[in-house]
Amino acid sequence: MSSPALSFTLVITGAPYSTQAPQTALAFARATVAAGHRIDRVFLYGDGVYLASNLASPPSDEANWSHQWRAFLEEKAVPGVACIASALRRGIVDDNEKQRYELPASNIAAPFSIAGLGEWVEGVARSDRVIYFHGGN
Amino acid sequence: MKPFHTLHILNKRPGHPGFKSCLSCLESRDALLLTENGVLALADKGLTLEGAVYALSADLVARAIPEDASIANVIDYDEMVALTIRANRVISW
Amino acid sequence: MKTLVIINQAPYGNWSGREALDMALSLAAFDQPATLLFTSDGVNWLRKDQQAAAISQKSVDRNLAAASIFGVSELLADHQSCHRFGLDDHTMIEGITLANINADFLRAYGHVISLS
Repeated sequence: MSSPALSFTLVITGAPYSTQAPQTALAFARATVAAGHRIDRVFLYGDGVYLASNLASPPSDEANWSHQWRAFLEEKAVPGVACIASALRRGIVDDNEKQRYELPASNIAAPFSIAGLGEWVEGVARSDRVIYFHGGN
Repeated sequence: MKPFHTLHILNKRPGHPGFKSCLSCLESRDALLLTENGVLALADKGLTLEGAVYALSADLVARAIPEDASIANVIDYDEMVALTIRANRVISW
Repeated sequence: MKTLVIINQAPYGNWSGREALDMALSLAAFDQPATLLFTSDGVNWLRKDQQAAAISQKSVDRNLAAASIFGVSELLADHQSCHRFGLDDHTMIEGITLANINADFLRAYGHVISLS
């Protein structure tokens, strides 16, 4: 007997490679969808915003967490949001912010977008479950 | 299946202050899920874990820590999702 | 449903506590009930007379003043952690209520966030 479909917001606060957060979160996300539940959004906060960089270039024999997450979000049509305050501090910017701050480049990887903490608050208020994937160190 | 009051997801190694904080907030109707470096607790001879304890298989296998059903129920990610649903509340430490 | 945001890291060494505080402030800004709890190293947020300009940062006691203005309903501190770090009425900023962090205490909160 399967449970009714629930909605999830996933929050990732750990960076790829420095932590396991992106890996555990992705495995969890895949299992969530496979079980028939819905992911309302994936919210990147703190160091988690590094997952949204399109410049990460690990060796080809290592997992590319940014690519894997982007493919998942696109395939399952799940919104991926990087918190603007966390992102700007760490140098993850979109075209808007590039113009606003007169930066030489933008580097946010589609389909991630930049937004405020209000997106996370919406998850707290509306999703059946909000699950956090933190750094472990 | 009986619901848990709270599922505590613990990814911190036993020496991390968050590990102790988590354990001090466990009660008998809760479940503890060890993930990532948290699974080191199963290899730590100085520790005794009580109550409903779960551990992620992938993290045990990665670290070559033997599965010991007398200490923890070893689960996969599908079962991890099921645990988050079975609990009324989920706290990630 | 009440949310508890736990600050367990001291200020200035990393940004984790500030980011936890921003979460509490955002909840309050959107009229979601939020309580802030300082525990472990995090109680060091509560020391009087911090002068973070010495390390090119803004002192966090100003951010805490904002918390109550924004509508964060309570600022709590773990009693044991305060004792451990020598924090008492003389050394702590005002407006902090002591609490004991345990399962009983957490029961009141439907949502608990502990960044690391």
